Amino acid sequence: MKALKIENHQGYFLTEEGTYETVDKIDKAILLRLVNLALGDGFEIDEYDEGELKNQAHQIIYKSISEKLNDLHQKRNQFYDESERLYLDEYEKYKLNVSGLS
Amino acid sequence: MKKIDLHIHTIPTISDANFTFSLAKFCEYVNSAELDAIAITNHDMFDLGQFNEIAEELDCVVFPGIEINLDKGHLLVISENENLNEFQLKTQAVSQKITSIGDSITVDELVHIFGDLNNYLLIPHYEKRPAITGGTLDQIRGFISAGEVDSPKKFIRMAKDQAEITPVIFSDVRIRDDMSKFPTRHTYIDCGDLSLNSLKFSLRDRNKVALSESEGNSLFQVFDDGQKLSTGLNIVLGARSSGKTVTLTQINKDCENVKYIPQFSLVQRDDANYEKEFNADVARKKSTFADKHLGPFKTVLDDILNVDLETNRRKVEDYLLTLLKSAEEAEKRDAFSKVALFNETQFEVGVDKALSDLIGSVRQLIENIEYREVIDRHVDINNLKVLACELIELLWSKAYERKKRSLVNDVVREVKSKLQLRTSATQVKDVDLYKVMMEHKKTSKFIQITKLLQSEKVIFEENIQGFKVVCKQRAFEGAGEIRNISGQKVAFSDAYREYASPYRYLVALKENEALTPSEFYKYFACIEYEILNKDGFKVSGGERSEFRLLQEIKDAQNFDYLLIDEPESSFDNLFLKGEVNQMLKELSKTMPVVIVTHNSTVGASINADYIMYTSKEIEGGDIVYRRYSGHPSDKELCSIDGKKINNFEVTMNSLEAGEDAYVDRRGGYESIKN
Repeated sequence: MKALKIENHQGYFLTEEGTYETVDKIDKAILLRLVNLALGDGFEIDEYDEGELKNQAHQIIYKSISEKLNDLHQKRNQFYDESERLYLDEYEKYKLNVSGLS
Repeated sequence: MKKIDLHIHTIPTISDANFTFSLAKFCEYVNSAELDAIAITNHDMFDLGQFNEIAEELDCVVFPGIEINLDKGHLLVISENENLNEFQLKTQAVSQKITSIGDSITVDELVHIFGDLNNYLLIPHYEKRPAITGGTLDQIRGFISAGEVDSPKKFIRMAKDQAEITPVIFSDVRIRDDMSKFPTRHTYIDCGDLSLNSLKFSLRDRNKVALSESEGNSLFQVFDDGQKLSTGLNIVLGARSSGKTVTLTQINKDCENVKYIPQFSLVQRDDANYEKEFNADVARKKSTFADKHLGPFKTVLDDILNVDLETNRRKVEDYLLTLLKSAEEAEKRDAFSKVALFNETQFEVGVDKALSDLIGSVRQLIENIEYREVIDRHVDINNLKVLACELIELLWSKAYERKKRSLVNDVVREVKSKLQLRTSATQVKDVDLYKVMMEHKKTSKFIQITKLLQSEKVIFEENIQGFKVVCKQRAFEGAGEIRNISGQKVAFSDAYREYASPYRYLVALKENEALTPSEFYKYFACIEYEILNKDGFKVSGGERSEFRLLQEIKDAQNFDYLLIDEPESSFDNLFLKGEVNQMLKELSKTMPVVIVTHNSTVGASINADYIMYTSKEIEGGDIVYRRYSGHPSDKELCSIDGKKINNFEVTMNSLEAGEDAYVDRRGGYESIKN
């Protein structure tokens, strides 16, 4: 299912229940959920199209969010790796040590 | 007693400075030092050819050996003088492993190469650098017979300590063709025949080793002519230009780690200059002390430097104003201001310091060596490792979440500002109330701490032989004081007006761009460091010299010998008889102390252990310098070449200007007294 889509000249986002709501309802908690979707595989959205979207507020929100999520989806592996580099040496040392015992 | 030197180098290796070996010098050394047994111990190598040559030439027992880089220290491995081909093969295995500077072998490798270590005499560098310590020492402890030291002081300390292994002291000399003096560091050992086993047997008993042949550890040889000194307190007497200072200079040159206080070095030459020097010395100590005392305050201050209460106040105000305004405009919202993101706030994305600290602590528990046993008694290390991994995984997932939230914050910020451009509606300004409140709390704590720091009190007090070092903290009394501390030509008067209110004072300091924030911690409280005499007053010029002498003597604890040349030339008798004599006496219980003196207060009142009398004598038109020495109670003092001199006479002459003068003077005093 598409995380963002354009229909009837309006922008929509995918809710947790699998339905769609207009993008003007998006708050930061919803945005975080969309970020999670973008970090997974099979993420899909309708490309931003100014001509299709008539509502100007929707234009602003849809453009900004779709760009960011697309970009994130491209770089999702790098995004994940960077946060796992902290203490990696120690982790590997201890992990190896312990499993070596069992 | 047999005299042995089991640490001698005959070949320059990568671990030595280059030198040319001379067999003739070697013979001269062994003969003049009257050595009964020696060992050839070159760094990480053994040359059988050279060994045979030496053994044939020398008139004493020669053991084959090697000095090995074992982990971070050095170990002497000495073999019986048999199966030399086998010993050479083994040492070649060592040479193959140690080919460049910094290379070493482990205990396992040592055992692998030499097999049963019980077949050898093992002596590690013990109280001598580079020493074998810690785990490496523990691994070989069962095989070592003695520990090598590098000074009589360390030898005696170990000899007295029942918990220690037997000490030995050797020359560690390089036998070079240009040697002008021979080393004097040898060990006397009470053993029957000079076989390796007999040596090992004797070394098991600390009472069987000594620094001198017949006087146990109370004397040691100081010069290569055989001259001895006491390992306690020595007095050097003699007429002017008879060689007293020369003797001290020679000891200073021949021995290592010597504290030498030359004549007049502490005298007050030029009052103004001296006071300046003394004060500079005090100032240095003060600054070290102040930095230590203010350290924790600096940490607090560094944190507070980032707090801006004024900005926080404005942010809260803006938030309230925009919130109220937006409420008023609720009815007039347009398409842009109606969307949810228009007034959206930011996610909190602070770093979780508690978690990384916790990981650090668990890591410490896993990796700590010093308290390993205690930790292991209570916690299983594998559990700790699992815990560390789990915490790190948690940290990763938190870091990942935080990154996502930061990204959301970016989007929210961007959408909000774009929406704002298109509408006249008021956007509610975001404010992090948690941060505002936290910083408010931090500031009030900072104020409390600063006030405590400014309250007058003595923070450190130390008594040094009648003097008192006092450190005080107090509030600054004026802008001038702060300026002096800062060492800059910046006026502090504006900031000082706010001094009573620490946070406002800090803001004022920040406003002055000529000042460096990293130095601010010095400007909140005054740390005073003073040296007072026993009456509680600031020290006078003479007292300053006395204080310096006492400090110098105190400092001597960190050395292996103390030499003082005529302390009486700078100080009065009462001072010498009191504090100085007492300290020297105390110090001489742990290390050799040598004092040159003419003064009866020092010379006679201190109860020396050993006397040396230097003398310039004319023999057949030549000038000969002699040193006579012996115990204070001896009737005669003896020179190395067998000459004798009356002890009472020379002592009287040196300290009391002769017996007649002494009797005369005593009569004079008696009549005053009567």
